[in-house]
Amino acid sequence: MTRNWWCAMALAAFSFSAMAAGARPTIEELKARPVLDDYESNIVYGYNIVMETQRYAPRYVGSRLNCTNCHLKGGTQPEGFPLNVEGVYPRWRAKNGVRNGLGLRIRDCFLYSLNGVMPPEESPEVQAVAAYIHYLSEGEVIGRPPDRWGVPTLPETGSDPNPARGSVVYKQKCAACHGADGQGTAAAPPVWGPGSYNAGAGMNNVQRVAGFIWANMPLGSERSLTHQEALDVAAFLHIQLRPFDPRTTNLWKLVERIAQAVSSFFGAGKP
Amino acid sequence: MRATAAILGMLREVIPDLRWRRAVDGRREIVSGLAGALLVIPQAITFAYLAGVPPEFGLYCAVFVGLLASLLGNSPMVGGPNTSVSILIAATVMPFSGRGSPLYLEFVFVLSLAVGVVQLAIWLLRGAHLFRYFSPAAITGIKTGVGILLISSALEGTLGLAPLSTQFFYEKFDVALTAWDSTVNPYAVVTSAVTIGCGLALRRRWCRSYIMLAVLAGGVMGCGLYFAYGPVTTQLELLGHVTLRAWPFQVPRVTPQHWLFLEQVIPSIFAIAVLGLAQSLVIARDLKARIAPDIDLHKEVFAQGVANMASPFFSTFAGSGSFNRTAVAVEMGARTPLSGIVAAFAVVLLAWVLGPLLTYLPMPAVAGVLALVGMGMIRRREIRPLFQSFGDAAVFSVTTFSVAFLDLSTGILVAVVASVVFFMVRASDVKLTISVEGEQERIAVTGNLYYASVDGLAKHLRTDPTRDSVLDLSRVPYCDPFAVSVMEAIRAERERAGGRLEWAAG
Repeated sequence: MTRNWWCAMALAAFSFSAMAAGARPTIEELKARPVLDDYESNIVYGYNIVMETQRYAPRYVGSRLNCTNCHLKGGTQPEGFPLNVEGVYPRWRAKNGVRNGLGLRIRDCFLYSLNGVMPPEESPEVQAVAAYIHYLSEGEVIGRPPDRWGVPTLPETGSDPNPARGSVVYKQKCAACHGADGQGTAAAPPVWGPGSYNAGAGMNNVQRVAGFIWANMPLGSERSLTHQEALDVAAFLHIQLRPFDPRTTNLWKLVERIAQAVSSFFGAGKP
Repeated sequence: MRATAAILGMLREVIPDLRWRRAVDGRREIVSGLAGALLVIPQAITFAYLAGVPPEFGLYCAVFVGLLASLLGNSPMVGGPNTSVSILIAATVMPFSGRGSPLYLEFVFVLSLAVGVVQLAIWLLRGAHLFRYFSPAAITGIKTGVGILLISSALEGTLGLAPLSTQFFYEKFDVALTAWDSTVNPYAVVTSAVTIGCGLALRRRWCRSYIMLAVLAGGVMGCGLYFAYGPVTTQLELLGHVTLRAWPFQVPRVTPQHWLFLEQVIPSIFAIAVLGLAQSLVIARDLKARIAPDIDLHKEVFAQGVANMASPFFSTFAGSGSFNRTAVAVEMGARTPLSGIVAAFAVVLLAWVLGPLLTYLPMPAVAGVLALVGMGMIRRREIRPLFQSFGDAAVFSVTTFSVAFLDLSTGILVAVVASVVFFMVRASDVKLTISVEGEQERIAVTGNLYYASVDGLAKHLRTDPTRDSVLDLSRVPYCDPFAVSVMEAIRAERERAGGRLEWAAG
C-alpha cells in the first residue's frame, strides 16, 4: 500500500514538473521514458500508426499507403494536411452528411484514403490516432482552424486542368519516385491502382491534389511547379483507375473485393 | 529416501511422456485434430475479442498454448483460448488501460506470465489434490453463469450497440428496448440473427460443426448486406485483416510499472490461475475416469502452467482446457495428445488460407458465435440432476447468481466457499438411532463426531441426566478431542445426577 502510494506520488511529482517546464515532450522523449501512462503510450502508438500504418494498423488498411504519405512528416507539416486539427471537430461535413467527431473523421480516412474497412469508434487504432492528434493540437484554439491547415487553394489560372499535359509533367517530375505506372517505389507511395487511395477519398479531388502537389511536391524541390502544372498533374491522377468509392453500392463490388483478397493472398496486391 | 522419490516423480512430470506414440491410432487422431482446428478458429477470434486483444492473439493462443499443453501433457484434452479466462483477463486489465491499447497488451502479457507462474507454484505444492474438492455443482454453476455472461456480452455486438459499454446486462436490455430506433443497427441484427438461427437449427444435426456453418451463413449474410448497401449505410463492423506472423516470438516487457500493475491485481491472478486449472482438471478428471486411465493430473497442471507462462513469449494470452473442443475431439476418436498437436498445426494452415476471407467477417456474426457458445454452456442435462438434492441446488444457484450478477472472480470464490460449506454441512450430519432395552438406552451414532456435529448428540443426552445410556460409536469414522471432552463432561454431569453414560468405540 505504502509502496503504491510512494510510486504514485513520484509519478505525480514527475508529471507536474514536466508540466511546469511547459514544454510538450517530443515523441523521442516519450519513447525514451521508462514509464508511460495510458495516454502517453497511446500518443506513441498513434505516432507509430501515422508513420508506419502498414506495420502498426494492418487490420483496417486495404491499400499500401501510410497516413504520413498525405499527412506529411507525421502530420506536422503545415499545408501538407497537418494533424493539429482537434479544435475544429466536431464539424458537419458534406462528404457523409453528418456531424463528424474526431473519431468518425479518423475512421473515414481508414475507409476511403486507406481503402480499408472502417474500424469501430472504440478500436485501439482509432483511439491511438485520436490521442496523437490531441497531442499535436496542444496550443491550438478550440473552434478555430489552425494556421495553414489542409492544403493551399490555388488561384484561377485561366486554363482548365489538362490530363494530357499532366501526363508529360508526371513522366518528367514524378515517375522517378512514384513509378511510371503510378504503383509507387520504395521511396514513394502508389498514386493510383489497387494499392492507392480509393475513388471516395478526399485526395480524389483535382483542386485539393493540385494544392497538395504545388505546396509539397516534388519532395526536396517544393513549389517548383507552376500552378498550371500542378493542376494538370492532378487532373492526370484523377482520370486513373483506382479502387471504387465504397459509398456507391453494387454487389459486383463484392466480386472485386474477393478478387482483391485472393490476389493479395498470392502476394500480388497488398503484402 | 522419500524426498528423492518425490523429486524423481516430479521429474517424470516435467519430461514430456511420448509413450502414447506406441498405441496411437493415427488416422482418427489426425481427423479429430483437423476438426478441432476448424472448430477453434471462430472461437479463437471470439475469445480474443472477449479478452480485448487483436484476433491474431486468439489464433496464436490456439496454436502455441494448445501445442505446449498437448506436448507436455498426457491427455487428449484440447487446450487454448478459453471463455472464462478471457473474460477474467479483460475484467482485470480494463481498469488500468484502454481496451486493446499498447499498454493494455503489455499488461495482458505480464498477467499471463504471472498466471503461469502461479500455476507452476500450484504444481510444486501438489495443488491438483485440492481441485478434487471443487464440486460438480460448483463447476456447472460457473459454466452456467459464464454462459449467461457470454449471451449478455454478445448483446452489444448482435444489436450493434458497440459504443455503449454498460455494466449490467439488464441495462443493455433497457437501452435496446427504450432507445431501439437510435441505437439498434438493423443490419447487425439481421446478420447475427442469421448466425444464431442457423446455429440453433443445425445444432441437432451437426453437433460438431454447427458453429462453423453458422459463422459461414452469418458471414455471407453480413457481407451481402455490407456490399449491397455499402459500409456507410450499414455501419457494419468488419473483422479486418488478420496478419499472422510466422514466428511471433517476443520477450514481454517488465518494468516497475508492470510490477505495480501486478501487485494490484494479485487476487485476479490467483482467480485466473485457479479457474484455468479447475477447468482443465475437471476435464482431465472426467477423461481419466472414462477414457484414459493413465492420465497424470499433476502432469496436466505442469503442462498448463508452462503453456501459460510461455504464452506472452508467443504474443498471446493465457488459456486453459476447453470443454466443448475436448468433447468434440474425444467424440471423434482422440485418445492421445496427438490430436491436439495436429490441431495446432492445422490452425496455422487454415488461418493462413482463410486469412484474406476473414477480413470481411462481420463482427455481428462473431457476436452470434459468442451467443451460441454461451447457449452451449447452459446444459439442461447437467443442471437438472443437481436439483435432486438441496445442497447441490443451493451451490449451483448461488454460484450462477454471483457469476452472472457480481463478477466472475467473486463467483469463483463463492463457488469454492459454497462447495466447502455444503460439504461441511453434509459431513456434520449425524444420525442417532435410539433403542430402549429396559432401563438402558442404546444410541447408535452414524457420522463424524466433531466440533460442528456434536451439538445434536449433546442436546439429546442432556435432556435427562438421570438416564442410563450406552453409545455405540462403531459407525463413527472420526471423533475429534472436542467431541470426546463434551461426552466426558456429560458423563460427569450424569454421575452427579445419578445417571450413567458409557460408550464403546468402533
